Amino acid sequence: MKRISARVRTGEWAARWADLKYTLFLLRKNVLVMSGLIISLFFIFLALTADIIVNPILATPQGYPNDSYPFERRWMWSAYSIINWGPGIALYHGPEFLPIGTDGWGRDLLQMIVLAIPVDLQNAVIIVTGAAVFGTLLGALAGYVGGVLDEAVLRITDIFLAFPSLVLALVFAALFGRSVETLRLAIILVWWPPYVRLMRGQILGEKEKSYVEALRALGAGHLRILFRHIIPNSIYPILVQATLDFGGVVLTFSALMFLGFSPTPSLPELGNLAADGYQHIFEAPWLIIFPGITMLLIALAFNLVGDGLRDVLDPRLRR
Amino acid sequence: MVFVLFGVSLIVFYLARGFPRQGFDPVAPYINPKMTSEQIAEVRRIHGFDQPLYIQYVFWLQDVLRGDWGRTGIWAQGRSVLGVFSLSFPYTVQLSVAATILTVTIGLPLGIISAVKNNKLPDHVSRIIALTGYSTPSYWFGFMLQLVFFYYFSVWGLPNLPNNLAVSPGIGTVPRVTGMPVLDGLLAGNLLYAWDAFCHLILPAFTLAFISLGFLARIVRASMLEVMRQDYITLARSKGLRERVVIYRHALKNALIPAVTLTGLFFAGLLGGALITEFVFALPGVGQLSLQAVFQGDSNFILLYTLVLAAIIVVANLVVDVAYVFLDPRIKY
Amino acid sequence: MTEFSRSEEKDKILEVKNLRVEFNTYRGRVKALNGVNLDLYKREVLSLVGESGCGKSVTALTIIDLLPDNATVLGGQILLTKEDLLKKSDDEIRTIRAKRIATVFQDPMTFLNPVLTIGTQLEETFMLDKEGLKQATKLRRTKIGREREGLLRQIMSFRRTEKVKEKEDITYLEYLSLEEQSSTKSDEAQVSRGEIKGTVRALCIDVLKLVKLADPERILRQYPFELSGGMRQRAMIAMALARRPAFFIADEITTALDVTVQAQILHLLRELKDKIGSTTLMITHDLGVAAEIADRIAVMYGGHAVEATGTREIFRSPLHPYTQLLMRAIPNVTRLVESLETIPGTVPDMIDPPPGCPFHPRCPYGMVKCVEKFPETTHLDGDHEVACYLYGD
Repeated sequence: MKRISARVRTGEWAARWADLKYTLFLLRKNVLVMSGLIISLFFIFLALTADIIVNPILATPQGYPNDSYPFERRWMWSAYSIINWGPGIALYHGPEFLPIGTDGWGRDLLQMIVLAIPVDLQNAVIIVTGAAVFGTLLGALAGYVGGVLDEAVLRITDIFLAFPSLVLALVFAALFGRSVETLRLAIILVWWPPYVRLMRGQILGEKEKSYVEALRALGAGHLRILFRHIIPNSIYPILVQATLDFGGVVLTFSALMFLGFSPTPSLPELGNLAADGYQHIFEAPWLIIFPGITMLLIALAFNLVGDGLRDVLDPRLRR
Repeated sequence: MVFVLFGVSLIVFYLARGFPRQGFDPVAPYINPKMTSEQIAEVRRIHGFDQPLYIQYVFWLQDVLRGDWGRTGIWAQGRSVLGVFSLSFPYTVQLSVAATILTVTIGLPLGIISAVKNNKLPDHVSRIIALTGYSTPSYWFGFMLQLVFFYYFSVWGLPNLPNNLAVSPGIGTVPRVTGMPVLDGLLAGNLLYAWDAFCHLILPAFTLAFISLGFLARIVRASMLEVMRQDYITLARSKGLRERVVIYRHALKNALIPAVTLTGLFFAGLLGGALITEFVFALPGVGQLSLQAVFQGDSNFILLYTLVLAAIIVVANLVVDVAYVFLDPRIKY
Repeated sequence: MTEFSRSEEKDKILEVKNLRVEFNTYRGRVKALNGVNLDLYKREVLSLVGESGCGKSVTALTIIDLLPDNATVLGGQILLTKEDLLKKSDDEIRTIRAKRIATVFQDPMTFLNPVLTIGTQLEETFMLDKEGLKQATKLRRTKIGREREGLLRQIMSFRRTEKVKEKEDITYLEYLSLEEQSSTKSDEAQVSRGEIKGTVRALCIDVLKLVKLADPERILRQYPFELSGGMRQRAMIAMALARRPAFFIADEITTALDVTVQAQILHLLRELKDKIGSTTLMITHDLGVAAEIADRIAVMYGGHAVEATGTREIFRSPLHPYTQLLMRAIPNVTRLVESLETIPGTVPDMIDPPPGCPFHPRCPYGMVKCVEKFPETTHLDGDHEVACYLYGD
């Protein structure tokens, strides 16, 4: 019995490896996906090295001379810059070159953005992983076990899907305090339903296939079948969805921060930086423009990759 | 359907009333700062806010079934929740309709071109546009539009689009029939008013549309691609039909079915998701009100808002299912 | 099955010369056609037989230029009454598809558009020929036009008269108007849209009657899923007939049907052949079907046409080793045998086909020559063509 299952396993994984190579080949052909991949890798690299490139001490008042933020240069644009924002802009003639101006605390906006990237990416990873894992497991169980459990899970998912999602996250966040953990939980709460549906659909399809029957005949237990065989076979759409969701989560997370749910007003986070600029949009437009562009690029990069993946992995479009 | 609404109401109720100390104090609309703590406790007792949660729920349900959704807090001058809601809801509807029209007008052709010229330049271009669309933070885009079309246009001396509010102050008023400024203006024959309201609608509608059209375009593209690979397209071509006829008569009819149903769901979603856009453009819609309600801890308003939107989404799902029957002759009820 | 006599002067309507087609796939280049030679004569049924993967469908698709994007035509000629189709522009090919070559495909469920009615799909074929419609409408106005039954039948004219034999390429409509010109006065130049619609509808009903579908008015309103498999296939044949083409291509049209329905469709095709003198290129993997209906049979293997001759002849004396083994492999229901005959080996991998003649690994008579180069076609009398070194070089 052991020998048979070992052979079955090798065959299956070899097929998966060949499949993977084909996928990578298709990906490489697609220019847009590759550029998305490069940009995402760039951002990930930034996120990992942000603490080294930028002096993170500058993010707190203690990092500046006199142990306080350099408020005298808040909302200022560098006088030496080539871009002219028009009349009414405060210009900074000081020694340091601030490529994209200062924020409400007088900090260099570029450095703040670089510091904000790991915050956003980290939270996005946690949120997407949490939502995906939770939703996938729930969907897999519902699909495989069927019956009452399936019905119950479906109903609950329906309820959550009917919610206007932003509001639910807002209410949750408003109730339970403005910490990062709460925000994460709030967004996970809203993002998990699509995964349930997705996984359940896949499981229902896979369950009827003959290899499952064959595995049962060989005496494999339910858990083994589910986790070793069915789930790995159904994982592709989940991966695609997760990659696509990554961009969406970054946007949602920063939107919540923008609306005012950040734990500390001076937290370097893209939405937070933009919120600061909301009051002063006509006097300091860079405060919204640049964090926004960064968010756009991050989301765009991951969406490109996810979209390309979706194209490539669609079984009907593969040759 | 009722079950879903029931479930939604339970969850929201639990969140909204279950944590009075965190700021969602249900008694807030009924008291004023001049009351003493005994009076406040008395008010609390009268409304039943000191009872256990499930009893409160029963009270609330009874009130709601009679049509009484409670009062709003100070932030909305303590008016009835239903009144405040129905005052602003039509504006959100107007905004969503405008955004949906824009989305379909731009997104549909984008998706079709993408599919027909698959993997050639138009496909790549439209893909970038579509993906940029839904990678854009809505508040950022709203601000950028305001910055360019309102601020800089006026600085550069160009005619500018207004950046906030539904109508310019001083343009006058028209009798309120539908609550949608453009329609009301047209109905009252006041074309100036209608035009002004329309101008105010352009930027926010475009903001919403830009983000959504990407999504629609991708779905249309995927659907079209799948259809174009079907055998009946080969047959249609073998009949000697022109490619354009093949696409429009044979392919589109099949491909649009999921797209149409999606647009329906999507419109329903827009009604609830226009929060940020309404905030950025200071529009008198219901989303912006809900934001204030959350910040002020007004549980009554939040309950109404969530339930109405959940109901809309559920109804939209039903409508879409029914529409499917009409669009696809293979499905019989 | 009519015997096809070579003594009559019959033109070739289609000549395929040395056609080579390749598909570019992830796993390599699939050499689907490696020099196919075919002749299709007027008013005959040529059946192209072979196993799956030998290139029969590809040949058909190449003729009408409906190959998928990753296919390349490497060389050869396809001569439709002396015009090389491979050199034609897209628009010209489209016109050819509309007016001269009609294709009927295998699976009527997937090949009919599920959201359009049969009527819509039929009408659009008629609408392609605007001139013909105008003439047909004018014909309907005449007294004779209304008297005779079956507008389409008139147009296609079951009775072949002297005039048709003289001018081979005349459209039947032209012929008819020539015949009627003297006796009618339909000189109104304009036809209204309403009239054209009426004409199209009459034509649709008539063509459905032609393929023996009962209650044609109702069928026009129905969707493909409401019909049975046999009815759908008849509807597809009707769509092909509507174009009054020079010849039909029938790509495995009976494969998706069960045997009784298959028999009915074949019977219909035979009738059509007799009544309207249609030319058909019939592609099938079923030798029984070919035997039923074909005048000539061409056998394909590994992207080549290896043998072609009259039906009786090929069953009586198959020459090519592959054909011989095929014939031997057909189970005989009258004799008791111990085991069934098979052809040893498997179908060649078309990405890396065997050099020379692709059959040589499985051929009992394999010679050294067979590995070097694919043999030229030898023409034997009785109009038997074989591509094998056993019969010449």
